[in-house]
Amino acid sequence: MTVAGPPRMGTVSAAGAATAPRRRRGRVAAVRIGGGLAVLVPIVVLSTFITYSLGALSNSDPAATILGQDAATPAAVARLNRALGLDHPLVVQYWNWLTQAVQGKLGRSYFTQIPVAQSISQRLPVDLSIAILAVILAVVIGGTAGVVAAIRRGGWLDRGVTVVCSAVSTLPAFVVGIILVVLFAVTVHLLPANGYVGPTTSIPEWLKYIILPSLALSLAVSADIARQLRTSLVEVLDRNYIVGARVRGLPYRRILVRHALRNAAGPALTILGNDFPQMLAGAVAAEVVFSLPGLGQLVLESAETRDIPVVQGVLLVISSFVIVVNLVVNTTLNWLYRTSDGLGA
Amino acid sequence: MVIDNRNPLPDITDSGAGADVRPGPAPAEGEVLSIDDLHVSVHDGAAMAVRGISLSVRAGEIVGLVGESGSGKTLTCRAALGVLPRGCAVAQGTVSFAGQDVTALSRRDWERVHGNHMGAVFQDPASYLTPTITVGHQLAEVLRVKLGLPRRAAHQRAIELFQAVGLRQPELVFDQIPAELSGGMLQRVMIAIAISCDPQLLVADEPTTALDVTIQAEVIELLLQLREQRGLAVLFVSHDLAVITELCDRIVVFYAGEVVESGSAAEIIERPRHPYTQALLRVASVGDFRRRELEVIAGQPPHVGADIVGCRFAERCPIAISACRADSIQPVPVSHQHHVRCVRARDADNVGELVAR
Amino acid sequence: MTGRRPGARGSGARPRPGRSRSVWGLPSVRIALVILAAIAILTAFGSALAPQNPLTINANALFQGPSMHHLLGTDYLGRDVLSRLMAGTRLSVLTALEAVGIGLALGAVPGVATVFLGRWFDFTANRVADALMTLPYVFFAVAVTAALGNDLGHAMMAVGILLAPLFFRVTRAATLEHARSQYVEAAELLGASKVHVIRVHVLRKVLPNIAVTTASMTAAALLAVSFLTFLSIGVQPPAPTWGGMLSSDLDYLSLAPWAPFIPGAFIAITVGALNALADAFRDRSSAGALVLVDPVTQRVLRTDPRNLEPVDGDRQSQSVA
Repeated sequence: MTVAGPPRMGTVSAAGAATAPRRRRGRVAAVRIGGGLAVLVPIVVLSTFITYSLGALSNSDPAATILGQDAATPAAVARLNRALGLDHPLVVQYWNWLTQAVQGKLGRSYFTQIPVAQSISQRLPVDLSIAILAVILAVVIGGTAGVVAAIRRGGWLDRGVTVVCSAVSTLPAFVVGIILVVLFAVTVHLLPANGYVGPTTSIPEWLKYIILPSLALSLAVSADIARQLRTSLVEVLDRNYIVGARVRGLPYRRILVRHALRNAAGPALTILGNDFPQMLAGAVAAEVVFSLPGLGQLVLESAETRDIPVVQGVLLVISSFVIVVNLVVNTTLNWLYRTSDGLGA
Repeated sequence: MVIDNRNPLPDITDSGAGADVRPGPAPAEGEVLSIDDLHVSVHDGAAMAVRGISLSVRAGEIVGLVGESGSGKTLTCRAALGVLPRGCAVAQGTVSFAGQDVTALSRRDWERVHGNHMGAVFQDPASYLTPTITVGHQLAEVLRVKLGLPRRAAHQRAIELFQAVGLRQPELVFDQIPAELSGGMLQRVMIAIAISCDPQLLVADEPTTALDVTIQAEVIELLLQLREQRGLAVLFVSHDLAVITELCDRIVVFYAGEVVESGSAAEIIERPRHPYTQALLRVASVGDFRRRELEVIAGQPPHVGADIVGCRFAERCPIAISACRADSIQPVPVSHQHHVRCVRARDADNVGELVAR
Repeated sequence: MTGRRPGARGSGARPRPGRSRSVWGLPSVRIALVILAAIAILTAFGSALAPQNPLTINANALFQGPSMHHLLGTDYLGRDVLSRLMAGTRLSVLTALEAVGIGLALGAVPGVATVFLGRWFDFTANRVADALMTLPYVFFAVAVTAALGNDLGHAMMAVGILLAPLFFRVTRAATLEHARSQYVEAAELLGASKVHVIRVHVLRKVLPNIAVTTASMTAAALLAVSFLTFLSIGVQPPAPTWGGMLSSDLDYLSLAPWAPFIPGAFIAITVGALNALADAFRDRSSAGALVLVDPVTQRVLRTDPRNLEPVDGDRQSQSVA
């Protein structure tokens, strides 16, 4: 669920890079990424530590829970605690957990004894598919709407797009999801309201199940992208260099894409970059609304049974996604603004 | 391509889409551009900035449009090119290119005219080039798209063109983005792009205004060269009379949205008939460097689109009479191809005072 | 020269200084205030105002559409929908306010303070904020219930903690914008203490920003609580909650496809009203120019809070916005 876009961590002003002379750009970029790492480490540590210490908040005794009421003699509990490493100070426990996690070992569920990593990797693809498809949809829908609105500026299409964008922006994603279910699944019986089939089984079936949650997730972002793109494109289309391109006799479509959009896309891409890191979390939320077997269901079930390791594992995965995507987005945007575009121009 | 009066100009719709282009008024022989009674409205029709402009450019001819800012020169050029800014429109009149009416041409047809038949350069070249693409690629793009040249050939040809317009080290220039080049170099780049597809007409809107004097001279030299080598016709706009007199075969003087005088350069400079032209020449001290006082033309031009009965210069004119404000003034032929919009054009005491001073 | 304010959205026209007082007159603001007033009343008096008992089950009147008796129809157990909505308001709003309060306290205070407390504090605070922002809102709250038990209060506390970094960012940016203006330097030069400077000059300019952020965050918190109750966190049936109603409506969608629109609209309208208020005040929050005489050179300076450069008062041409 996206709220008034939180600023990216370690945000670098991309606009500044555009004016640096090309000779210096390489050095400037290197410094920025380097600076980023020094910022990154504390964030990763803090975030994972908070996640881990949730376990410490709990006043239930995991050893007792695992052993069950009857077998939980003090001796057995103490032995299990030692075996689980739960008798060390919190920081040591955290470090052990983190080092294990980096190797892919996230412990075992208190209840089912199934390795957490296994449960997660079974369910992660569901949410990843939704998240990635949502991003694609946001770009396609938002991009098209923004471009169309800008080209037909002032017309009914433009005004329509603006109104729809404002309306969609204020709607919470899970409400949108419910509306979509009502419209497409119940009233029209076109798409299923719940259930899931993996892409390996059948791609069209798989798409049928994830299209609605992806759409629900993408609409708010599409609206933001469309609005920003329209504004930027309208401004760019009035610039002199578009007139310059026209008097050269270049075809309109080419001017639009290679001259106008190239320069107008920046702010919209930044918005996408702002929203992208939260996509996995959003996908998890959307998946719950549509009863898909993903990480969200896993967390809910585990929370009910107070199965801490599972919950910690899922949080770790989600926050890692945020951190990694942030890094990739920052780097990409810096690179995009850095290169003067001689590519296939 | 040799253009002369015996060689008719090619049909701009030679790819067969003739249905979109209506024949305009019959051109005089060899006329590349013909503007007839052009009226342009601005601010979504609120004001008429250009009133009844008529002018023509013949093949291989350099025609200069001169006048103050706001006199309508730029709008006329934009109208001729089909790139009027938002809110402006041709209210009346026709623009013809090589005998065909292009006033209401569709966007697709303009794409065919631009580049192949008409090129353009503007005052601030940096702002008319896409800031994020290297200038070489912007030229190569035109060559590939409009002339169908393959990538390598386009690259080669672009470098040749840069060389032809006087850019030293064209291979280096190719890889620069506009922000990295000086005004003079950018103007040459713009000229290279404008002539790359061998157009018959180049519209140049104040191309030398922002350049310093030595570069100005080089650009003028370049344009003259291009006329020699390619028979390029040029519509050259400037408020700098000195540049105009160096370059142009014919001069058209603009004031407050109207043409007040037009004729050959020699005629206009030696025997200007309109009081405004005379004042302009005086202020520019063309040909006379011994002037000691700074001359200005007293007063201000009327607001853009102001509705004035009679002569629009009457307010500031030293020899205005009552007849000047009575009715709209029509151009009067003074000698061969020399027209003046003034009731006193033929008066005995209105012989060019410039020389006397 | 005017630059874009950091974080400013290009929404609508910027009000000219003379018109800054007319925000209250905007139709969107008025409607939003009416809606929020209604919600406030419902929060205070809850089920007392409801036309029916929200808990009464009536097996004979399942899934009825709107009627005189049941203005918004009945749910899957024959209970009056409108009454349930009204009764559920209190829980949602109070817990949302709890979250916002925590966010405000944990976020806005350090946000203002960080500008004055030196580099290390700022760096650390920023990293903490970044780290918190990597955690997903709602599922962190769910994780907290795994640790502390199925209590909505606890969950919303977690939401509050996750809202804090947003408050922090916004107040920090606003404080930076104002604390570095020349008039603050001038005031310090004139001998004012740091605390005084903060209180009198900076806070006055920053409070509007905080108010706007609070409105948006309240909207976010309401969405969070709706989603949490949708997931059955902290819900003790048969107590009515907005999210809980949505959830059960989804279960019986085939029998009553219109049903989820009602609580959905309720939530959307409330959230929309808060966002509309926030948007309307966003532009206004940057108040007009402040005139000051530079004590050192005795030049008249004018600083526009929208950009950080002081403007030489002698220059004639200064077009703002």
